[in-house]
Amino acid sequence: MAETVRRTSGQTVVNDMEALRQRARELLDAGTVQVIIGYANGSNRRVRPFFARRPEDLERLILDDRCVLNLAVYLRKPEVKALGKAAVIATPPLLRSILQLAAENHYQESEAVFLALDSAGNVLELSSAEQIAGVLGSLPGSTGQDACVPSADRMPALSAGSTDRQARFAFWKQEFERCIRCYACRAACPMCYCEQCLVDSNQPQWIPVAAHSIGNLEWHISRAMHLAGRCVNCGACSEACPAGIPLNLVNQFLADRIQQEFGQKAGTSAKLDYALSVFSGSDRETFIK
Amino acid sequence: MSRIGVFVCHCGENIGATVDCAQVAQMSSSIPGVVHSVDYKYMCSDPGQTLIKEAVKEKKLTGVVVAACSPRMHEPTFRRACAEAGLNSFLCEMANIREHCSWVHEKGDQTTQKAADLVRVLVEKVKRNRPLRPIQVPVTKTALVLGGGIAGIQASLDIANAGQKVILVEKDPSIGGHMAQLSETFPTLDCSQCILTPRMVEVAQHPNITLLSYSELESLDGFIGNFKARIRKKARKVDEKLCTGCAVCTQKCPQKKIPSKFNAGLGMRTAIFVPFPQAVPNKPVIDIENCRYFKTGKCAVCQKLCPAKAVRFEQEDEILEIDVGAVVCATGFDVVNTDFFPEYGYGKYPDVINGLQYERLASASGPTLGEIRRPSDGKIPETVVFLACAGSRDRAKGIDYCSKICCMYTAKHAMLYRHKVHSGKAYVFYMDIRAGGKMYDEFVRRAIEEDGAIYVRGRVSRIYERDGKLIVKGADTLLGGEPIEIKADMVVLATAAVASPAAEELAQKLHISYDSYKFFSEAHPKLRPVETNTAGIFLAGACQAPKDIPESVAQASGAASKVCGLFSQDQLSREPLIAAVNRTAPPQYSSCTGCFLCESVCPYRAIERETITTRGGKPIRTIARVNPGLCQGCGTCVAVCRVKAIDLDGFSNSQLYAEVRALA
Amino acid sequence: MSEFEPKIIAFVCNWCTYAGADLTGTSRMKYAHNVRVIRTPCTGRIDYMLILKAFSAGADGVIVSGCHPGDCHYTSGNYHARRRWMVFRSLLDFLGIDVERVRFAWVSAAEGAKWAEVVNTTVADIRRLGPYTEYQNLIGRGVERSFQV
Ligand code: SF4
Ligand code: SF4
Ligand code: FES
Repeated sequence: MAETVRRTSGQTVVNDMEALRQRARELLDAGTVQVIIGYANGSNRRVRPFFARRPEDLERLILDDRCVLNLAVYLRKPEVKALGKAAVIATPPLLRSILQLAAENHYQESEAVFLALDSAGNVLELSSAEQIAGVLGSLPGSTGQDACVPSADRMPALSAGSTDRQARFAFWKQEFERCIRCYACRAACPMCYCEQCLVDSNQPQWIPVAAHSIGNLEWHISRAMHLAGRCVNCGACSEACPAGIPLNLVNQFLADRIQQEFGQKAGTSAKLDYALSVFSGSDRETFIK
Repeated sequence: MSRIGVFVCHCGENIGATVDCAQVAQMSSSIPGVVHSVDYKYMCSDPGQTLIKEAVKEKKLTGVVVAACSPRMHEPTFRRACAEAGLNSFLCEMANIREHCSWVHEKGDQTTQKAADLVRVLVEKVKRNRPLRPIQVPVTKTALVLGGGIAGIQASLDIANAGQKVILVEKDPSIGGHMAQLSETFPTLDCSQCILTPRMVEVAQHPNITLLSYSELESLDGFIGNFKARIRKKARKVDEKLCTGCAVCTQKCPQKKIPSKFNAGLGMRTAIFVPFPQAVPNKPVIDIENCRYFKTGKCAVCQKLCPAKAVRFEQEDEILEIDVGAVVCATGFDVVNTDFFPEYGYGKYPDVINGLQYERLASASGPTLGEIRRPSDGKIPETVVFLACAGSRDRAKGIDYCSKICCMYTAKHAMLYRHKVHSGKAYVFYMDIRAGGKMYDEFVRRAIEEDGAIYVRGRVSRIYERDGKLIVKGADTLLGGEPIEIKADMVVLATAAVASPAAEELAQKLHISYDSYKFFSEAHPKLRPVETNTAGIFLAGACQAPKDIPESVAQASGAASKVCGLFSQDQLSREPLIAAVNRTAPPQYSSCTGCFLCESVCPYRAIERETITTRGGKPIRTIARVNPGLCQGCGTCVAVCRVKAIDLDGFSNSQLYAEVRALA
Repeated sequence: MSEFEPKIIAFVCNWCTYAGADLTGTSRMKYAHNVRVIRTPCTGRIDYMLILKAFSAGADGVIVSGCHPGDCHYTSGNYHARRRWMVFRSLLDFLGIDVERVRFAWVSAAEGAKWAEVVNTTVADIRRLGPYTEYQNLIGRGVERSFQV
């Protein structure tokens, strides 16, 4: 099986972890929140989501560059909601997704608290979309986006300047054929909040359910279209894919296209600025004849 | 289980000559669900329709596909036939095997095959149609007329005389529009104000008309029969109810040197003013830009002198919300700006004026009391050059169209000049004379033959000043382009009629379309000349295209009769092909996720937010809801909804899916 | 073997292109028979999914057409559609799907001749590109069943 370069260093452990833990402890003690959602070490040097409900659990919290999983997905889960109000250890991609969710009416003001570290190592406590939008740009690593990318030799078809359509087709055909339709990508994506995903709707059955070439292709095209202009590039989907399909390349490509064409970028404000729900009379139409 | 009937029409030779109709019927009979399949010479004829009706009853059909001409042609016919036989009319569809098949392809198997394919597509569709009922909406029997020029006045009076209520909104302090500015009118030379002002008074006194002068439309929401208009009543700074129109204020106001718009800049007015003596309503307005009190805080002469104590400096704009059932847009036209003709020195030489200014000079109520005196020094000009097509029909100026009224009023101008200045010389430069209309050509002839206007065919290239004269340089194209130079005392440009500068914004407020010149578009250039594409909004007068008075009046009466037709019903029936958001069992209540992306794409703002609450009123979730009164059925929301929570009757997800699969 | 006859599915809006194609008929202009028109109310209704479904139904080419910008019966459906198509087309191209097989066009109710031209040139283009076996090969045996209607 082709291999995906995953960042497994675990090196850059955040030095200010103690400050984060301290603030989390205060929030738990004061009863402001009932659970802290963060990351902890799992098996195989993997990180896993971690739910701390008692102050003593907080020792296990970690935050390093392996923490790609987007914790925002847990905020919508009923079993997490049942625990009470949550504070979330926040990375810039997570905060971007909260902004986009707020724009789409899927994050309510003060629904949760986000604990983020600024570049001086101070803990920021954010809960409204406005606060998030205000600090997001200045957070360390807020612009960097380097979720998993397949090694260059695996994707000659996609390397810059490739005009070989058939090679691209062959590449993606091969990638998508490995999809086992487990929908881990969907589960990992904070923007995939629909209770009834298109792929689960029959009457009509738009997308064939079985894991075969055509169904897989249609599923991945739909996934990309549904995330076009909404994907905040956290990379959680690729991280979650057991088959190692570089899903976020597709999303990233569309995000870039949309920014070039329409100047819009998801996850930058809580005001809805969805490229596909607005238009301009001067949109380019060279392809329409 | 579906029981579909397929009816293949030969349309005489129209279909039958290229498509093997019998074979199409035969092929259709094997489509699952089809229980009846026949072909016939003329399905739309009485016997043809009877064939359908009988089959519906005998075979207990649950759906009908008529393979014939375009549904745009006969869909209503066949739907009615089905309804008469007891089948819901929305269970009938047409396969277009004439316009889209027999007329565009050669006779042969492939053409027959295509016809059969099209039938199969529609059979799969109709299997998924639902019985629907036309939507009934109530009609508010009040018309909103925008613009109080002759078109708006005519429309208002016609509607009001038919017994319906009218709200007439005019942006200026008085109604009357451009017609009130005119001197005499072609081709009869009757005085414009003499025929117009009685109608203005009638408007003011009509019990069915509410006149809102000095007011503008802020926004219009809603739909045919049920519009909500917000109207800004601009502050006159004068209490209209108390003011008696005595005119003490306008005589005593110390700010006297303000160019009067009504006199096209050729006369002056005061800061508190009535645009012209016969204004309706005859109540003054304070122009706060020029009022001494508003500029310096001192003066208030009018307030002190007003015997009725009607001056109200503190008065603010007011917003009125009015329910109306129909809108007549009669907002008129404008003439191009002075900067349009640098080559003619328009705006630079005071004696190069436009047609509207000339009307004011020739008008007995104008600044010169009807004497033709040129603006620069008040002398009576001895040579006047009239330029027709100033800007019109000129690609280089971006106005390709003919302004339509200029040929006639230019002839009138030359004629009036010759009547008033017997010794004067009137030259008219023209491209060609367009005088189609009752008594129009005779009128132009009279100007030339009896009144001695000198017509020169050709364009003027330049106008400049030399020794106190305006030198008009042109070429006489009838004399083989011979250069011609006229020393004139005054030049009158028949400037192009253009859409009013506010037209575009207004069109957006009304959701109506406009052409590239910003004139409003009628729904059909031939057959629906007074309707717009937005149901319930009609057009009258020169906001649609340049027009003369009789045409504007005729169109206004046309629009009025459309409004009265609409108001003759208490309820309106509309096609029920509209969108809806699904509803499911608790705890979801709908597969709608509440993202409201649909809300921002809907061109009619038909998507609303609905909060589902527990019995105790606790909100559970907020989801989308389509307002059936507003939805027009474009389906843009359906395509944008990721979860397909929203669907459109007539073009539903399952229908379109099945239609595509039918071609597999 | 007989000449390859492309299969073309067209999604058109009711108010412009459908009416334009009616006009082609009333004007008795001839064009290639390969196209099958599916009527939609507006280009705004044309879901990208329909284009995918057309290919999986064996289409070698797809035409998507509606009113010119500014002319949409519903004022703005086509503007929304234009954006969606731009994104969709970029995506297909990125994935190596042959975007030349999807022809986007504006055909007004008055452009009967243009409709004939759009169909004819599309048919000619697809004839040149050949059958879309690359895509159809994705539809393995037994998959047909999963396209329940
Ligand atoms: S109907 Fe669809 S698009 Fe509209 S709010 Fe619901 S989920 Fe969103
Ligand atoms: S079908 Fe069109 S008009 Fe109706 S709700 Fe949807 S977007 Fe609005
Ligand atoms: S109606 Fe033709 S594109 Fe909207």
